[in-house]
Amino acid sequence: MKAYIAQRLGIGLLTLLGMSVVIFVLLRLAPGDIVDILFSTGGYVNPVERQAIERELGLDRPVWVQYVEWLRQIVTGDLGKSYRYDLPAWEIIRPLIPVTLELAALSLVVAVALGVPLGVISAVRQDTALDYALRVFSLAGLSMPSFWLGMVIILTLVAWFGWIPPVTYVSPSQNLWLHVVQFSLPALAVGYRSSALIMRITRSSLLEVMREDYIRTARAKGQSGRVVIWRHALKNAILPVVTVIGIEFAFLIGGLVVTETVFNLPGLARFLVEAILWRDYPIVQNLVMFIAIVVIVSNLVVDMLYGFLDPRVRYGH
Amino acid sequence: MTRSRIMVLAVIIGVSAFVAIGARGALAQTPKYGGHLNLMQREDLSQGFAIHETSTIATSFPSMPCFNNLVVFDQTKRAESVDNLVGELAEKWSWQDNYRNLVFLLRKDVKWHDGQPFTSKDVKFTFDMVREAPDAAGKLRINPRKDWYSNVEAIETPDPHTVVFRLKRPQPGLLVMLASGYSPIYAAHVNPATYRTGCVGTGPFKLKEWRKGEFVDYVKNPDYFVKGRPYLDSLRYVVIKERGTRTAALQAGQLDVSFPGETTKTAAEQLKKAVPGLVITPVAQAVSDNVIMNTKKPPFDNPKIRLAVAYAIDRKALIAAVHQGGAVPGASQQPRPYGVWGLLDRDLATLPGYGKPEDMKARARKLLAEAGVTPQNPLKVEMATRAIAMYVDLASFVINELKQVGIEATLKQVETAQWHPMATRGEYQIGANLTGLGVDEPDANYYENYACGSPRNYSQYCDEQVQKMIEAQSQELNPQKRLAMVSALQKKVEEDAARPVLDWRLDYFTVWPYVKNLVPHDNIYNFGRMADVWRDK
Repeated sequence: MKAYIAQRLGIGLLTLLGMSVVIFVLLRLAPGDIVDILFSTGGYVNPVERQAIERELGLDRPVWVQYVEWLRQIVTGDLGKSYRYDLPAWEIIRPLIPVTLELAALSLVVAVALGVPLGVISAVRQDTALDYALRVFSLAGLSMPSFWLGMVIILTLVAWFGWIPPVTYVSPSQNLWLHVVQFSLPALAVGYRSSALIMRITRSSLLEVMREDYIRTARAKGQSGRVVIWRHALKNAILPVVTVIGIEFAFLIGGLVVTETVFNLPGLARFLVEAILWRDYPIVQNLVMFIAIVVIVSNLVVDMLYGFLDPRVRYGH
Repeated sequence: MTRSRIMVLAVIIGVSAFVAIGARGALAQTPKYGGHLNLMQREDLSQGFAIHETSTIATSFPSMPCFNNLVVFDQTKRAESVDNLVGELAEKWSWQDNYRNLVFLLRKDVKWHDGQPFTSKDVKFTFDMVREAPDAAGKLRINPRKDWYSNVEAIETPDPHTVVFRLKRPQPGLLVMLASGYSPIYAAHVNPATYRTGCVGTGPFKLKEWRKGEFVDYVKNPDYFVKGRPYLDSLRYVVIKERGTRTAALQAGQLDVSFPGETTKTAAEQLKKAVPGLVITPVAQAVSDNVIMNTKKPPFDNPKIRLAVAYAIDRKALIAAVHQGGAVPGASQQPRPYGVWGLLDRDLATLPGYGKPEDMKARARKLLAEAGVTPQNPLKVEMATRAIAMYVDLASFVINELKQVGIEATLKQVETAQWHPMATRGEYQIGANLTGLGVDEPDANYYENYACGSPRNYSQYCDEQVQKMIEAQSQELNPQKRLAMVSALQKKVEEDAARPVLDWRLDYFTVWPYVKNLVPHDNIYNFGRMADVWRDK
């Protein structure tokens, strides 16, 4: 087991190294840089001033020197300085992380709380009116982009009640109730979409399992339908669902851009887009690396969970 | 008249006067102290509070409460002209030596937010830096308004409270440029680079916190030099990137004030319908829609083709279709009554593109035919514009208009990062553009956008006669004569299709009714000091 984890971590580090090259190259391939953006706020360009700013920001150095410097900074725990804000990148990134992690986690809670039970009900009541209704519900969730749903929620609230959730971030220590309100609506918008996916996976996986011999045997032994479904069938059907949940969490970390924008939450996904538009390389590079780490770790956690959920799955053999 | 009648008359006059004074008193409300306002901020501050290093309202509006100018346009009056100038850091000013020396006598009771005294050294430091004087103590990283001060020969400080701007030649417009929101005074004892992350000003509010991408918080400056100001305790500029969320936040009362230039006519009508109590004031933005054409490259190096473009575009239809009526026609200076220098309607009507649309288009086709462009041999060009909705809408309309006269333009959307470098380097054929004027002053406009060699003269239009006209109007001391010269200049650049102006945008500035004394100006860049604003709630 330890060897397996070490192997996975090693592969993870190699993946991160590969990612770092991809991020670095792609950013430099995009047209324009921070100096262009700075001049665009002045509405003109001056080649002499341009060179001075490039020198000031270290953009005049060869690209490979910049890359090595960035890797050195990461290794030493120094994430560099934001070109735009002239502040240490970590100082800017640090407050964004909990906001996005919290929103992603809450969205996932909504998704699981809705998706798994509805998937089970849909499977158990296969081809009934309830099943059809739930499938329509899930299809609607998959079809509606979460940002669209978010905007509809906001517009509906303001039109009907003249109220919307706070547009400036409220920390739990400031006002716990407002904090919950502020996060619950975007979590609902995002979680609904994810729940649709989880529901469909749960349903199809459960339907497959329920056709297995051991389920028939359990029923023949006189076990109640509830015990058969929740103890035997669901436990065996849950593996693909766990995989999807892991993928969804990783996806949500970087995929909350528009929801954070619509609900005006100061998360890292929204900030990442802003940083890309500004070609703020230190911020973009480090944020993308952070997202990559979350993806790798969440995949690892899912793989570990397999062993826990299904004793037949053993690592290291 | 008998004695008793005189008595009755006196009583009637007395009672009437009492009632009149009482009614007037009731109408003019007494300002209240205290309270907080949340103001809309469309995007995060692009260069922090470094106003001298930007040309964007996203920096200037939320930075205004921190700073002061020498002089400023009266913040309680909507119109901007030399007659509406009031002193801020300058108590008095006067032109001397036939408009060659501009002398300011400064206030003696002003302190910077860090407690240092304000002196003439700060004024010299600021404007020597902006005009890039050889011995300037400070240097700006980006300096978009250097040209505004190119006529300043020296800035002298005979004593700590007197400043003299010595000019190379008379330039009456300089005073107005000093009143722009883009002309604040920086502290000489502070590194100008630090304004990108913080703000040490003399203004009515002190910066409390700038949380990047979220908000800017200000608190009242208790040492503000105007006694009894500001009225409010605090301000927060809330950054909301999404337009729908911004509008919803204003409608829901989470924001008290809209962002200058943000509210379209349609949005204003919807807001008014939803919340009838909102106070909406239509004002000019000092932002024009225009067409830039590269005069150094074919096909727009041909004046006939440029002129055909100017004739082809129906201004009224543009205003109706793209702005739903929320704009006004005008030439290169903001039209009256919003601006001082705008052409009279009768003059405007004679310019290319302002006649009957069918006549104008026929004229355009004739010019194109003279240039060899026919239906069999149409002109194919690439129309560049910024990849932002307001630019793309404009470009799409223009493309449709050009198609009707035989110019087939394809749209090329250019990302913001590339737009200004591309325009400055002349790497385009034709473009749909927006231009904001920091102040309604011909010098600021023509030296920046039409003078030979200016980096913001995107069309690279250079005409000797126009250059002379710009210089001549700049030093004309008689206001009436100068107005006539500026009118002639406007007609000339439109007739040359140097940069055809299509319309001037209006803003529907919106506040909640309890926000008092926040008067929007006919120029989005020059209001928002917030010292006189109070909250009636």
